[in-house]
Amino acid sequence: MIAFVTRKIIHLIPMLLVISFLIFLGMDLMPGDAVDFMISPDDIATLSQADLAAIRSSFGLDKPFIVRYFIWLGNLLKGDFGYSIQSGVPVSTLMWSTLPATLELSVSALLFSTLLGSVLGMVSALYRNSIADHALSVAGMIGVAIPQFLFGLIAIIIFVFKLGWLPAGGRMTPGHEAFLMRLDHLILPTVVLGLALTAGVMRYARASMLDSLNKDFIKTARSKGIPEWRVNLLHGFRVACTPVAVLIGFRLPMLIGGAVVIEQIFQWPGLGVMFLAAVRTQNTPIVMMVGFFSVLLVLLASIVVDVVTAALDPRVKLQ
Amino acid sequence: MKKASLFKTALFTLCSLLSLSTFAQKNWDYTKETPLADVRVRQALAYAIDMKTITETIFEGLASPALSMTNVGPWQSDKLVKYDYNPEKAKQLLAAANWPADYTLDVVTYYADQQTADFLTAVQSYLEMVGVTMKWRLLEGDLAAQLWVPPADREKGPSAVKWDLAYAAVAASAESEFYVRYGSTAPNNSHTPKDATMDKLLDGLNVTDVTAQMKALKAVQERLNQQEYSIPLYHQIAFIYVGNLLDAKGITHGNDQFSYEKKILDWNVNRTDKTLYTNMGPKEFFEAPITNPGLYPYQEQLFDKLISADSSLTPTTGMLAKTYTVSPDGMKFDFDLRTDVKWHDGKAFSADDVKFSIEFYARTNSFSAVTFKRIKGAQDFVDKKAADISGIVVKGSKVTITFDKIAPDASLVFSQWPMLPKHLLSDCDPLTPQTHAFWQKPIGTGPFKVSEFVRSNYAVLERNAAYYKKGTGNIQKIYMSSSGDNDPNLVINAEAGKIDYAWSKSTADAKAIGKLANFKITKAPIRYTRFFHINQFPHEPNIK
Repeated sequence: MIAFVTRKIIHLIPMLLVISFLIFLGMDLMPGDAVDFMISPDDIATLSQADLAAIRSSFGLDKPFIVRYFIWLGNLLKGDFGYSIQSGVPVSTLMWSTLPATLELSVSALLFSTLLGSVLGMVSALYRNSIADHALSVAGMIGVAIPQFLFGLIAIIIFVFKLGWLPAGGRMTPGHEAFLMRLDHLILPTVVLGLALTAGVMRYARASMLDSLNKDFIKTARSKGIPEWRVNLLHGFRVACTPVAVLIGFRLPMLIGGAVVIEQIFQWPGLGVMFLAAVRTQNTPIVMMVGFFSVLLVLLASIVVDVVTAALDPRVKLQ
Repeated sequence: MKKASLFKTALFTLCSLLSLSTFAQKNWDYTKETPLADVRVRQALAYAIDMKTITETIFEGLASPALSMTNVGPWQSDKLVKYDYNPEKAKQLLAAANWPADYTLDVVTYYADQQTADFLTAVQSYLEMVGVTMKWRLLEGDLAAQLWVPPADREKGPSAVKWDLAYAAVAASAESEFYVRYGSTAPNNSHTPKDATMDKLLDGLNVTDVTAQMKALKAVQERLNQQEYSIPLYHQIAFIYVGNLLDAKGITHGNDQFSYEKKILDWNVNRTDKTLYTNMGPKEFFEAPITNPGLYPYQEQLFDKLISADSSLTPTTGMLAKTYTVSPDGMKFDFDLRTDVKWHDGKAFSADDVKFSIEFYARTNSFSAVTFKRIKGAQDFVDKKAADISGIVVKGSKVTITFDKIAPDASLVFSQWPMLPKHLLSDCDPLTPQTHAFWQKPIGTGPFKVSEFVRSNYAVLERNAAYYKKGTGNIQKIYMSSSGDNDPNLVINAEAGKIDYAWSKSTADAKAIGKLANFKITKAPIRYTRFFHINQFPHEPNIK
């Protein structure tokens, strides 16, 4: 397995280089540059071309694209992630101040959706074609179809405005920084994001469970007189977990930068909102690092998924 | 007699037909001439747009149609021509000006919001009704290059920009800021050819006497209105929201885009934590007072200015200056500074900080840099020919500032631009000030100081116990959610009880918060006008 993982990690390097180059190129192809977003359109007119050139030069924006890319890459190899063009704050500082929020939300939503989706999927498969199965299928379809922002707003109206049980947004309030003290802030975004993810997990789990229940090893287990619940849970569900694990494995890194809508609605100070703002204002150092980090996570997740799949399914061998 | 009359009528009709056919046959060479250079066309466009209906529908009555850049009040001239909606008159003017029916107006904007899209779509329909085709597009990228580059020849062009109409806005602290751009040497005048009369009228604004300023400003407005160099569209309103837990002691609300005396230290909030909840907190950094000196509430609470201003932004008494005097010709300001002021880090505030701040601002891209550059020796300092601004003389706690050109808005500028700490910002690059670490936790002399800043979460300001004024109110802390400008969560937070004081220009916010029983909304007229710039320099049609 070590050789497998090592080989995979070596393969990551050219992929990361190509993808980082493409992100940098994409940013460069966008009209304008960061300076256009730092100064309002009216105020920018009061600056002379020499002043504007000096500002651009101070950020290295006057250099050709390819030179800027290799400067960025060289700095990255030295462990220098760069600085936010707007604030001068190191990108690493910005990432470390937003990443915990995103991880907190993503992991909790993923756990919530995995537990709920797997259980519901299993129930749906075990009671195939029952009213419960149909009801869950319809609920799943609704879960996939309804946009997250709508879910979010409905949840805010009910649980914040009508019932007053939970805070409207934000991650914490002053003096309530400890995790347990700010748990109430996490509930709504987790449930809303988690519910949106549950439908997919449930459908995967149901299909996978149905598939595994028809396998020979299940029949063998039953013929040995093993209790039905053990057959379903320990034999059937374990194998059925494989595609679910693949799904989850790929979802986490995507959630790192992909929970933008939920972060925006619930004023959650995560990486997604920061990334979106950075793209909008052409803050290339932030876009590059968040993009690079997300890509790295997706690629690493594919390795982890391979390893987990092998662990869950005895038929899979790592080569 | 009858025959003569008939003959005259026939002759007139014939002449009219001939002239019409001549017009119709006119081949426009747009590289040498633009139809928009004809005042009748500009007036026709103004007559064609029904701003009254637009403000009542699209803006739901929460904006007021503009007759001039200047809002209704003592500064607005009463001799302005009203271009009320009159499509028939618009058609007549267009016909008389020989409007080319095949020409498509290229209208640009840099606002990406839905209301702008709705507004420009409505304008498109109104213009279509008088036979003018227009298309609008959103500008992205280097806006300065696309919008404001003046032509090399300020009289004849050709234009250095491609558009015909630009939908834009100006937020002015002083009325003159609306108009200086129509001068033939203005660095951002990409649209209006040199007009010697206008230049002369603009020169007239360089007076310090308020009555004379008002008279000069009205003359400028009248010239602009007659020539319709731009089409004023509507004035935006500031909506100020005060929750029922806050007692702001009946202050007069004003233009919250800038700083004015709110006496916050006298306010009471009915919360056990004695915390005032608001928004517009910093996300990644506290904004340096360069582009906006007082847009964000924290700027006003963290920093003091030399002079106070009232809600109409009229300079009043001293703030950091115990007293101040202005010479009769307005060329010299004497400030006698308070000696009991400390920065939030405990260092004493001094006259050197004043000199440093003004020299710093003179080198920034702030819109008031032009005023600071009128101080004697400032241009040499900006051009790096002098080590300091010779017109700023410090003697103990006294600062004398001498101008070598009249700066009519100098008092206003001194009431808006905060004083900055020399000992913390002397290494700050005025061209890229925001990148300085200072703006992560700024130190001012104001009534509140930064207590906590959790990036993208919130900032907490705490009452400055060492402040030179004490106040009678109970607010100990100000909690600001990190929203930046245009807070998308203002309504949610207001409804959730997490807003005691806020303001916005959004009519959608005003409508939603207006439905909440626990908020009082004050509508404050502000110097923020939206208008169409009209490019009167010839250029190839952008849309063919």
